[in-house]
Amino acid sequence: MNDETRGGSGTREAAPEELSCEESLALVYEYLDGELPADWNDAVRRHVEKCRLCYPYFDFERMFLDYVHEAGEGAARANPELERRIRDLIAGEDGS
Amino acid sequence: MNESSENGENRRTEFESEALPHLDALFGLALRLTGGDDARSEDLVQDSVLKAWRSWDRFEVGTNCRAWLMTILRNTFINQYRRDRSRPAQVEFEEIAEGPGAGTLYDADPEGRVFDRLVNEHVIRAIEELPDEFRVPVVLADIEGLGYQEVADTLGIPVGTVKSRLFRGRRRLQERLHMFAEEMGYLP
Repeated sequence: MNDETRGGSGTREAAPEELSCEESLALVYEYLDGELPADWNDAVRRHVEKCRLCYPYFDFERMFLDYVHEAGEGAARANPELERRIRDLIAGEDGS
Repeated sequence: MNESSENGENRRTEFESEALPHLDALFGLALRLTGGDDARSEDLVQDSVLKAWRSWDRFEVGTNCRAWLMTILRNTFINQYRRDRSRPAQVEFEEIAEGPGAGTLYDADPEGRVFDRLVNEHVIRAIEELPDEFRVPVVLADIEGLGYQEVADTLGIPVGTVKSRLFRGRRRLQERLHMFAEEMGYLP
């Protein structure tokens, strides 16, 4: 994985009509992250939609990224003492 | 109470009612960024809220206060992080196999059933255990939703490095989730 990857954001050659599995797999995250140029994005989508090997893998990675996003956003509970401390500091800076 | 102190108190009340409801969200982001360090996260939240208070006159009421506060916290963390980065990077070089392969979480559970069974604490622990070099880009991209270029600009590293760190960080997360799933008996 580096900028020399074909279709990666470091290169700007036009996307080919057909991508191999290997080429599509190398772009899985850039595709799912919405970071590919439109022609490359379409080329990956065309391959994945018709490839019975790549489709489930892309689906799995999409589930994984959704899972990380939702779980990672999960609420934490700040210590109530922190809020009291912050209120005191603000009041102090405000000169009251 | 004279007029100016009354204005000051109104301003403070307004700030507190807009900003302090977001403390839990700020603390959550701080925990993710620091790798679960409670004390450091509290300091980070406190510093960020005080910075926000000092810039309150520049905040446009009615715009997204939560997003504004999160950005301040992120920038505060990143400034410390970049300062600390002046010491040598801790990342060891490793070869990464690309795509699905034997022994991966995908190989064991291609339908992703573990994502329904593992609880949030598992993924949070897995994120917190990542080395800084991987954890920070993963938190910024995967939880905060920043694009590659934004992560690169924020961390002062090339986009290609962001891509490879995300790739490796996500692989490590999957390896850790795989271990949790095996420990819990969700996978054979």
